[in-house]
Amino acid sequence: MEAPRTGMDYHSLNAMLNLYGPNGEIQFEKDREAAREYFLQHVNQNTVFFHSLRERLDYLVEKEYYEPAVLEMYSFEFITQLNDLAYSKKFRFDTFLGAFKYYTSYTLKTFDGKRYLERFEDRVVMTALGLAAGDEKLATNLVDEILAGRFQPATPTFLNSGKAQRGELVSCFLLRIEDNMESISRGINSSLQLSKRGGGVALLLSNIREAGAPIKQIENQSSGIIPVMKLLEDSFSYANQLGARQGAGAVYLQAHHPDIMRFLDTKRENADEKVRIKTLSLGVVVPDITFELAKNDEDMYLFSPYDVERVYGVPFADISVTEKYREMVDNPAIKKSKIKAREFFQTLAEIQFESGYPYIMYEDTVNAANPIKGRINMSNLCSEILQVNTPTTYNEDLSYDKIGKDISCNLGSLNIALAMDSPDFGKTIDTAIRGLTSVSNQSHISSVRSIEDGNDKSHAIGLGQMNLHGYLARERIYYGSEEGIDFTNIYFYTVVYNALKSSNAIAIERGETFDGFADSKYASGEFFDKYTDAEWLPATERVAELFANSAVHIPTQDDWRELKASIMEHGIYNQNLQAVPPTGSISYINNSTASIHPIAAKIEIRKEGKLGRVYFPAPFMTNDNLDYYQDAYEIGAEKVIDTYAAATQHVDQGLSLTLFFKDTATTRDINKTQIYAWRKGIKTIYYIRLRQMALEGTEVEGCVSCAL
Amino acid sequence: MTLTDKVNSAQNDPAHQGKIKLVSHVNAINWNKIQDEKDVEVWNRLVNNFWLPEKVPLSNDIQSWATLTAEEQLMTMRVFTGLTLLDTIQGTVGAVSLIPDAITPHEEAVYTNIAFMESVHAKSYSSIFSTLCSTKEIDEAFRWSTENQNLQKKAQIIMNYYQGDDPLKRKVASTLLESFLFYSGFYLPMYWSSRAKLTNTADMIRLIIRDEAVHGYYIGYKFQKGLENETEERRQELKDYTFNLMYELYENEVQYTQDLYDGVGLTEDVKKFLHYNANKALMNLGYEPMFPKTVTDVNPAILSALSPNADENHDFFSGSGSSYVIGKAVVTEDEDWDF
Repeated sequence: MEAPRTGMDYHSLNAMLNLYGPNGEIQFEKDREAAREYFLQHVNQNTVFFHSLRERLDYLVEKEYYEPAVLEMYSFEFITQLNDLAYSKKFRFDTFLGAFKYYTSYTLKTFDGKRYLERFEDRVVMTALGLAAGDEKLATNLVDEILAGRFQPATPTFLNSGKAQRGELVSCFLLRIEDNMESISRGINSSLQLSKRGGGVALLLSNIREAGAPIKQIENQSSGIIPVMKLLEDSFSYANQLGARQGAGAVYLQAHHPDIMRFLDTKRENADEKVRIKTLSLGVVVPDITFELAKNDEDMYLFSPYDVERVYGVPFADISVTEKYREMVDNPAIKKSKIKAREFFQTLAEIQFESGYPYIMYEDTVNAANPIKGRINMSNLCSEILQVNTPTTYNEDLSYDKIGKDISCNLGSLNIALAMDSPDFGKTIDTAIRGLTSVSNQSHISSVRSIEDGNDKSHAIGLGQMNLHGYLARERIYYGSEEGIDFTNIYFYTVVYNALKSSNAIAIERGETFDGFADSKYASGEFFDKYTDAEWLPATERVAELFANSAVHIPTQDDWRELKASIMEHGIYNQNLQAVPPTGSISYINNSTASIHPIAAKIEIRKEGKLGRVYFPAPFMTNDNLDYYQDAYEIGAEKVIDTYAAATQHVDQGLSLTLFFKDTATTRDINKTQIYAWRKGIKTIYYIRLRQMALEGTEVEGCVSCAL
Repeated sequence: MTLTDKVNSAQNDPAHQGKIKLVSHVNAINWNKIQDEKDVEVWNRLVNNFWLPEKVPLSNDIQSWATLTAEEQLMTMRVFTGLTLLDTIQGTVGAVSLIPDAITPHEEAVYTNIAFMESVHAKSYSSIFSTLCSTKEIDEAFRWSTENQNLQKKAQIIMNYYQGDDPLKRKVASTLLESFLFYSGFYLPMYWSSRAKLTNTADMIRLIIRDEAVHGYYIGYKFQKGLENETEERRQELKDYTFNLMYELYENEVQYTQDLYDGVGLTEDVKKFLHYNANKALMNLGYEPMFPKTVTDVNPAILSALSPNADENHDFFSGSGSSYVIGKAVVTEDEDWDF
């Protein structure tokens, strides 16, 4: 027995989660102690005290911490009520990391960064007041849903709402780059502007001509995409959101772009410093044809975007490579080179082993499932945003000629476990959809006109989900089991119905739909076929029982017919409704397992720039139900893909899908998994994570995360 | 002559004092004929673990570095110069000096890999310096390292054994260096990272720890293999020798720790960490622990941070993590593409 320690600090207490107790048990109580000590030793004494709400708000407005316009939309009486409601919920952080993350990264601090000006309840109230924009009912509902933990807005929204000195509320931007210098430099400028305001930026490189392509018809002039990537990487390092969030960027490239191998090699362990890309994320857009070529063990042709644009009159990214492949191969006007298709996939897997990158977007799957008219040719930094875009053109003086449509998306996630416990599931989703819609309505990124225009026209949002594994384990269901997949299917089926219903209600209230609704599969009714033609019911008794015991109503075919009629008549307000993000930070605050992934470890070691290394116990886990907390490496890629496939069929955009491998895997295993995912209709793959176990004899003794 | 000069001259003149020997006879190494499976296992592990300092975005630590006090910065730089010296010794003299003693040809190959990675480690510290500090500060810290008696003594002790004639004693010295002597220095970046400071630097150090853990384990293992062919008397002699050397190094290490950490009040905590790792080093050599559990209760935040498993769930936007390895490339077969 270890002697009781005195004066242990909260970091040490938290770290004890990762060390087994004297009887081989996980020391959950040490983490709760850590959370308590964190408040006693640190938070309480560093929080500014106010005598009353009035004094607090007056002070914060006067000192320019809070945005007065947000508060002016409400009577003080109402704000007091809302404040009382929030504090009546008796909110407590479940874990040390939840509290630590909140106070480190979200709460309002004095300008010198030394003292806290908000507690969790205050942040929730400010977020609700900001999003509801004067709508008392919505503000009340938001406080209700967020404090109950059912709905959690994404980081930029929760971090920034109501603050006077702040970044944007939107998480995520996607920009096209066209094959000309004006567009490239505008892309860099926009990246700087958007990073400064928060969120991540993804850029499409597929249209840029390859290294060695002609400029003004002179051959061997272009330097290709690598120097553009370097410029972007430096831009993102430079800009960060008042130091709150590091700028982060991703670039997407079509697999059949001639620079594809150079693109991948930037992440090689032994890449030369001149071409090495350290902090920029990479994504590859893979069409179906590439799989067919690999199946037949054929060469895979790469096409010059410069020539393709001249032949087809549209940028490379706006044509379907699968459709035009043979035609382009036969066309002598298109310069091409070739590699072995299987070697391409193997290289992809090698680089994923070494760096976790690139992400993959299955181009044809994504476009086949897209209900909106247009083409999807890229995704974002977390590979869950999938929306159509159009190019922007510029005049010689760099002003806009024709403003195209670029993409922004704001996110927020439901905690599946708590949403299943919701007294009114429809209301939970409605509140979330309305909260997210407000973010879209309140966002005006005038520095990047294509983003501003795109947002004004589409009102796109992304309702996400998290805590799937936590919920399943709580209900004693194994992740990836038949029941686990059955639940995922029916849950997402129920979500898509309620989300569309809310968006339809907003369209009716405002008499407005998103731009392009008339050309969508919602307007034609085609979208609804799979729901009106077939009956969706739980396949297992256990899942039927879970829904029967909840207040969640599973929509019937008649419900769908009614909704279809209303949507075809009145439309929906939001071009896109769902996207399932990876939920890093917010799932800690919300005490959820991330996204719909399995847990990475029973006790997760979380490392972040602002946090250092901290330890997080999986939600609802006790020493008695550890069996249900198999980690992702044990569960294996196939069950993760099966689970995601069940959800994917009900999600209009994408879902961040990380794959986890043990270090005994080979590139062939990764390739087989990529093929399996493609066949199962997965839209995108996010990171590959690898776990290397310590060589026997070199591990740290008694450490939870070291034990298999 | 300072120790650094000695290292340099040993490096330039392998026959220096006739102590650092080259293998006299070389046979082509046949990896299809393996005498000791451990050689292959460790070789594969080391190859998979290959990395270069350029991988880690150290510049993300610049802001964090600026939040350290001048005293903390000074201490940190001194810690790293000390580590640089040890890695230089191990890369240019230590691992190389083990080659002639190798029992199997594959063991020789493993030592060359170890030697190379030690040089990568030594260079990594320079990457940290050049990212975070000015040339003047770097020069001053290196001057401190040549002038600090305890650091010089520690290096001297090890150097002497490398230059001695007893192959097994060389392995003992090498294991104690890999598994014990580095850790007074490793403590600090782990400490900072548990306080959310210099987290990318800590990532790099964790990559180094990942390597050193394997090195110490392997050399210790080879020591135990060598011991199998020795008489009981000689085994006792080596055991006594090991514990004596450990005491000698420990005493000196305590002094060195005081030099580094007294200013910030961390000495007591670091000493526990030394005890913990001393036991670990002895374990690698097949011996029982020297320090009782009551003095090895390392701060849990440091102990947990030490885990050489690549299992942390890092946030990709602020660092590259220490989990990626070079994968095993296997071509896909027709059956994989059967759809």
